[in-house]
Amino acid sequence: MQKHGWVVLSVFLGGSLGTLLRYLINMQTTALLFPVGTIIENIIGSLLLGTLTGWTLVKVIVPVLKEGIGVGFCGGFTTMSTLAADAVVLGGTDSMGSLATYLLISLFGGMFVAAIGLMIGQYLANRSVKKESREWS
Amino acid sequence: MNILLVALGGGIGASCRYLLGAWVKSRLKQRSIPTAMLMVNILGSLFLGLFFGWVYQEVPQMVYDDLPFLVFAVGFCGAFTTFSTFSVEAVTLLQKQKKRKFITYVGLSIGGAMIAFLIGMFLGSQVMKFI
Repeated sequence: MQKHGWVVLSVFLGGSLGTLLRYLINMQTTALLFPVGTIIENIIGSLLLGTLTGWTLVKVIVPVLKEGIGVGFCGGFTTMSTLAADAVVLGGTDSMGSLATYLLISLFGGMFVAAIGLMIGQYLANRSVKKESREWS
Repeated sequence: MNILLVALGGGIGASCRYLLGAWVKSRLKQRSIPTAMLMVNILGSLFLGLFFGWVYQEVPQMVYDDLPFLVFAVGFCGAFTTFSTFSVEAVTLLQKQKKRKFITYVGLSIGGAMIAFLIGMFLGSQVMKFI
Protein backbone atom coordinates (compact mmCIF):
# COMPACT_ATOMS: atom_id res chain seq x y z
CA MET A 1 0.00 0.00 0.00
CA GLN A 2 2.87 2.31 0.84
CA LYS A 3 4.40 1.53 -2.53
CA HIS A 4 1.07 2.45 -4.13
CA GLY A 5 1.20 5.80 -2.35
CA TRP A 6 4.55 6.66 -3.92
CA VAL A 7 3.22 5.80 -7.37
CA VAL A 8 0.17 8.04 -6.85
CA LEU A 9 2.49 10.85 -5.74
CA SER A 10 4.67 10.44 -8.83
CA VAL A 11 1.54 10.41 -11.05
CA PHE A 12 0.42 13.60 -9.29
CA LEU A 13 3.78 15.32 -9.87
CA GLY A 14 4.07 14.12 -13.47
CA GLY A 15 0.48 15.15 -14.15
CA SER A 16 1.09 18.62 -12.69
CA LEU A 17 4.17 19.12 -14.83
CA GLY A 18 2.47 17.86 -18.00
CA THR A 19 -0.56 20.08 -17.39
CA LEU A 20 1.67 23.10 -16.79
CA LEU A 21 3.48 22.56 -20.08
CA ARG A 22 0.16 22.10 -21.90
CA TYR A 23 -1.07 25.36 -20.36
CA LEU A 24 2.06 27.22 -21.48
CA ILE A 25 1.77 25.92 -25.06
CA ASN A 26 -1.95 26.78 -25.14
CA MET A 27 -1.14 30.33 -24.02
CA GLN A 28 1.10 30.73 -27.07
CA THR A 29 -1.44 29.38 -29.55
CA THR A 30 -4.72 30.70 -28.17
CA ALA A 31 -4.91 33.52 -30.73
CA LEU A 32 -4.97 31.04 -33.62
CA LEU A 33 -8.35 29.97 -34.99
CA PHE A 34 -7.37 26.33 -35.39
CA PRO A 35 -6.58 24.36 -32.18
CA VAL A 36 -2.90 23.93 -33.03
CA GLY A 37 -1.83 23.76 -29.38
CA THR A 38 -3.86 20.63 -28.63
CA ILE A 39 -2.56 18.95 -31.81
CA ILE A 40 1.07 19.67 -30.83
CA GLU A 41 0.54 18.42 -27.27
CA ASN A 42 -1.32 15.26 -28.26
CA ILE A 43 1.25 14.33 -30.90
CA ILE A 44 4.37 14.98 -28.77
CA GLY A 45 2.78 13.17 -25.81
CA SER A 46 1.90 10.16 -27.99
CA LEU A 47 5.50 9.96 -29.26
CA LEU A 48 6.85 10.08 -25.72
CA LEU A 49 4.43 7.48 -24.36
CA GLY A 50 5.08 5.24 -27.38
CA THR A 51 8.82 5.41 -26.71
CA LEU A 52 8.35 4.65 -23.00
CA THR A 53 6.00 1.75 -23.78
CA GLY A 54 8.45 0.36 -26.35
CA TRP A 55 11.26 0.52 -23.80
CA THR A 56 9.19 -1.30 -21.15
CA LEU A 57 8.46 -4.11 -23.63
CA VAL A 58 12.18 -4.94 -23.42
CA LYS A 59 13.38 -3.64 -20.07
CA VAL A 60 11.80 -3.21 -16.66
CA ILE A 61 11.43 0.29 -15.21
CA VAL A 62 10.52 0.92 -11.57
CA PRO A 63 6.76 1.70 -11.29
CA VAL A 64 7.35 5.12 -9.72
CA LEU A 65 9.21 6.25 -12.84
CA LYS A 66 7.10 4.35 -15.39
CA GLU A 67 3.73 5.57 -14.08
CA GLY A 68 5.08 9.02 -13.20
CA ILE A 69 6.20 9.65 -16.78
CA GLY A 70 3.58 7.59 -18.62
CA VAL A 71 0.32 7.99 -16.68
CA GLY A 72 1.36 11.26 -15.04
CA PHE A 73 3.35 13.39 -17.45
CA CYS A 74 2.20 12.03 -20.85
CA GLY A 75 -1.39 11.67 -19.63
CA GLY A 76 -1.46 15.16 -18.17
CA PHE A 77 0.26 16.73 -21.16
CA THR A 78 -2.21 15.22 -23.66
CA THR A 79 -5.98 15.58 -23.45
CA MET A 80 -9.16 14.14 -24.88
CA SER A 81 -11.70 16.48 -23.25
CA THR A 82 -10.26 19.59 -24.93
CA LEU A 83 -10.14 17.67 -28.20
CA ALA A 84 -13.86 16.87 -27.85
CA ALA A 85 -14.64 20.55 -27.10
CA ASP A 86 -12.45 21.75 -30.01
CA ALA A 87 -14.12 19.27 -32.34
CA VAL A 88 -17.61 20.39 -31.32
CA VAL A 89 -16.67 24.05 -31.90
CA LEU A 90 -15.13 23.30 -35.30
CA GLY A 91 -18.12 21.19 -36.32
CA GLY A 92 -20.57 23.86 -35.19
CA THR A 93 -19.06 27.04 -36.60
CA ASP A 94 -16.92 26.05 -39.57
CA SER A 95 -17.38 23.86 -42.55
CA MET A 96 -17.12 20.13 -41.86
CA GLY A 97 -13.75 20.26 -43.59
CA SER A 98 -11.96 21.81 -40.63
CA LEU A 99 -13.53 19.30 -38.24
CA ALA A 100 -12.42 16.40 -40.43
CA THR A 101 -8.93 17.91 -40.78
CA TYR A 102 -8.59 18.33 -37.04
CA LEU A 103 -9.72 14.80 -36.22
CA LEU A 104 -7.63 13.19 -38.96
CA ILE A 105 -4.43 15.07 -38.01
CA SER A 106 -4.94 14.26 -34.31
CA LEU A 107 -5.82 10.60 -34.89
CA PHE A 108 -3.38 9.59 -37.58
CA GLY A 109 -0.66 11.92 -36.32
CA GLY A 110 -0.95 10.54 -32.80
CA MET A 111 -1.05 6.91 -33.91
CA PHE A 112 1.77 7.34 -36.42
CA VAL A 113 4.16 8.86 -33.87
CA ALA A 114 3.05 6.33 -31.23
CA ALA A 115 4.09 3.54 -33.63
CA ILE A 116 7.42 5.27 -34.30
CA GLY A 117 7.91 5.76 -30.56
CA LEU A 118 7.28 2.04 -29.91
CA MET A 119 10.05 1.20 -32.40
CA ILE A 120 12.49 3.80 -31.02
CA GLY A 121 11.87 2.64 -27.44
CA GLN A 122 12.43 -1.02 -28.28
CA TYR A 123 15.55 -0.19 -30.29
CA LEU A 124 17.07 1.89 -27.48
CA ALA A 125 16.23 -0.73 -24.84
CA ASN A 126 17.69 -3.55 -26.95
CA ARG A 127 20.86 -1.54 -27.49
CA SER A 128 21.10 -0.93 -23.76
CA VAL A 129 20.65 -4.67 -23.05
CA LYS A 130 23.42 -5.56 -25.52
CA LYS A 131 25.73 -3.00 -24.00
CA GLU A 132 25.11 -4.41 -20.54
CA SER A 133 25.73 -8.00 -21.63
CA ARG A 134 28.98 -6.93 -23.28
CA GLU A 135 30.09 -5.28 -20.08
CA TRP A 136 29.35 -8.47 -18.15
CA SER A 137 31.16 -10.85 -20.46
CA MET B 1 -0.46 31.94 -8.74
CA ASN B 2 -2.56 30.85 -11.72
CA ILE B 3 0.22 28.56 -12.81
CA LEU B 4 0.24 26.73 -9.47
CA LEU B 5 -3.53 26.22 -9.52
CA VAL B 6 -3.44 24.85 -13.08
CA ALA B 7 -0.74 22.43 -11.97
CA LEU B 8 -2.76 21.44 -8.89
CA GLY B 9 -5.87 20.77 -10.99
CA GLY B 10 -3.77 18.72 -13.39
CA GLY B 11 -2.11 16.73 -10.62
CA ILE B 12 -5.48 15.86 -9.09
CA GLY B 13 -6.92 14.98 -12.52
CA ALA B 14 -4.01 12.67 -13.37
CA SER B 15 -4.13 11.00 -9.94
CA CYS B 16 -7.89 10.40 -10.24
CA ARG B 17 -7.33 8.88 -13.70
CA TYR B 18 -4.67 6.55 -12.30
CA LEU B 19 -6.80 5.46 -9.33
CA LEU B 20 -9.99 5.03 -11.36
CA GLY B 21 -8.07 3.17 -14.06
CA ALA B 22 -6.53 0.81 -11.51
CA TRP B 23 -9.94 0.23 -9.93
CA VAL B 24 -11.68 -0.49 -13.26
CA LYS B 25 -8.88 -2.86 -14.30
CA SER B 26 -9.17 -4.77 -11.02
CA ARG B 27 -12.93 -5.18 -11.50
CA LEU B 28 -13.11 -6.05 -15.18
CA LYS B 29 -10.87 -8.90 -16.16
CA GLN B 30 -9.33 -8.98 -19.64
CA ARG B 31 -11.57 -6.89 -21.85
CA SER B 32 -11.32 -7.02 -25.61
CA ILE B 33 -10.80 -3.26 -25.83
CA PRO B 34 -9.02 -0.98 -23.32
CA THR B 35 -12.15 -0.16 -21.29
CA ALA B 36 -10.56 1.82 -18.46
CA MET B 37 -9.20 4.69 -20.57
CA LEU B 38 -12.32 4.68 -22.72
CA MET B 39 -14.43 5.28 -19.61
CA VAL B 40 -12.06 7.94 -18.27
CA ASN B 41 -12.06 9.88 -21.54
CA ILE B 42 -15.84 9.78 -21.93
CA LEU B 43 -16.40 10.70 -18.27
CA GLY B 44 -13.88 13.58 -18.43
CA SER B 45 -15.48 14.96 -21.60
CA LEU B 46 -18.88 14.80 -19.89
CA PHE B 47 -17.46 16.76 -16.92
CA LEU B 48 -16.01 19.40 -19.24
CA GLY B 49 -19.33 19.74 -21.08
CA LEU B 50 -21.25 20.06 -17.79
CA PHE B 51 -18.83 22.74 -16.62
CA PHE B 52 -19.00 24.74 -19.85
CA GLY B 53 -22.78 24.46 -20.09
CA TRP B 54 -23.29 25.41 -16.46
CA VAL B 55 -20.81 28.30 -16.18
CA TYR B 56 -20.65 29.71 -19.72
CA GLN B 57 -23.67 28.26 -21.59
CA GLU B 58 -21.27 27.83 -24.53
CA VAL B 59 -17.73 26.68 -25.32
CA PRO B 60 -15.72 29.64 -24.00
CA GLN B 61 -13.02 31.19 -26.16
CA MET B 62 -10.20 33.43 -25.01
CA VAL B 63 -10.75 32.89 -21.30
CA TYR B 64 -7.18 32.17 -20.30
CA ASP B 65 -7.43 34.70 -17.48
CA ASP B 66 -10.48 33.02 -15.94
CA LEU B 67 -9.43 31.02 -12.87
CA PRO B 68 -12.25 28.39 -12.74
CA PHE B 69 -11.60 27.68 -16.44
CA LEU B 70 -7.89 27.22 -15.81
CA VAL B 71 -8.26 25.00 -12.76
CA PHE B 72 -11.14 22.79 -13.87
CA ALA B 73 -11.11 22.80 -17.70
CA VAL B 74 -7.38 23.06 -18.47
CA GLY B 75 -6.23 21.49 -15.20
CA PHE B 76 -8.56 18.79 -13.94
CA CYS B 77 -10.49 17.71 -17.09
CA GLY B 78 -7.43 18.17 -19.32
CA ALA B 79 -5.29 15.88 -17.19
CA PHE B 80 -8.07 13.47 -16.19
CA THR B 81 -8.56 12.62 -19.86
CA THR B 82 -5.67 11.51 -22.02
CA PHE B 83 -4.78 11.17 -25.66
CA SER B 84 -1.34 9.55 -25.45
CA THR B 85 -2.64 6.31 -23.91
CA PHE B 86 -5.39 6.28 -26.52
CA SER B 87 -2.86 6.54 -29.39
CA VAL B 88 -0.60 3.82 -28.02
CA GLU B 89 -3.50 1.46 -27.30
CA ALA B 90 -5.07 2.07 -30.72
CA VAL B 91 -1.77 1.39 -32.50
CA THR B 92 -1.21 -1.75 -30.41
CA LEU B 93 -4.64 -3.09 -31.47
CA LEU B 94 -3.76 -2.34 -35.10
CA GLN B 95 -0.38 -4.07 -34.84
CA LYS B 96 -2.09 -7.15 -33.41
CA GLN B 97 -4.30 -7.16 -36.53
CA LYS B 98 -7.42 -6.64 -34.45
CA LYS B 99 -9.06 -4.38 -37.00
CA ARG B 100 -12.61 -4.62 -35.70
CA LYS B 101 -11.62 -3.88 -32.12
CA PHE B 102 -9.45 -1.05 -33.41
CA ILE B 103 -12.36 0.59 -35.24
CA THR B 104 -14.67 0.07 -32.24
CA TYR B 105 -12.12 1.54 -29.84
CA VAL B 106 -11.29 4.58 -31.99
CA GLY B 107 -14.94 5.25 -32.83
CA LEU B 108 -16.13 4.91 -29.23
CA SER B 109 -13.27 7.06 -27.92
CA ILE B 110 -13.63 10.01 -30.30
CA GLY B 111 -17.37 9.78 -30.97
CA GLY B 112 -18.09 8.94 -27.33
CA ALA B 113 -16.05 11.88 -26.05
CA MET B 114 -17.79 14.31 -28.43
CA ILE B 115 -21.29 13.02 -27.64
CA ALA B 116 -20.58 12.98 -23.89
CA PHE B 117 -19.33 16.54 -24.15
CA LEU B 118 -22.49 17.65 -25.98
CA ILE B 119 -24.77 15.87 -23.48
CA GLY B 120 -22.81 17.54 -20.67
CA MET B 121 -23.21 20.97 -22.30
CA PHE B 122 -26.96 20.45 -22.63
CA LEU B 123 -27.44 19.19 -19.05
CA GLY B 124 -25.14 21.88 -17.65
CA SER B 125 -27.04 24.67 -19.39
CA GLN B 126 -30.32 23.28 -18.00
CA VAL B 127 -29.00 23.57 -14.44
CA MET B 128 -29.05 27.37 -14.74
CA LYS B 129 -32.77 27.34 -15.41
CA PHE B 130 -33.52 25.66 -12.09
CA ILE B 131 -31.42 27.94 -9.94
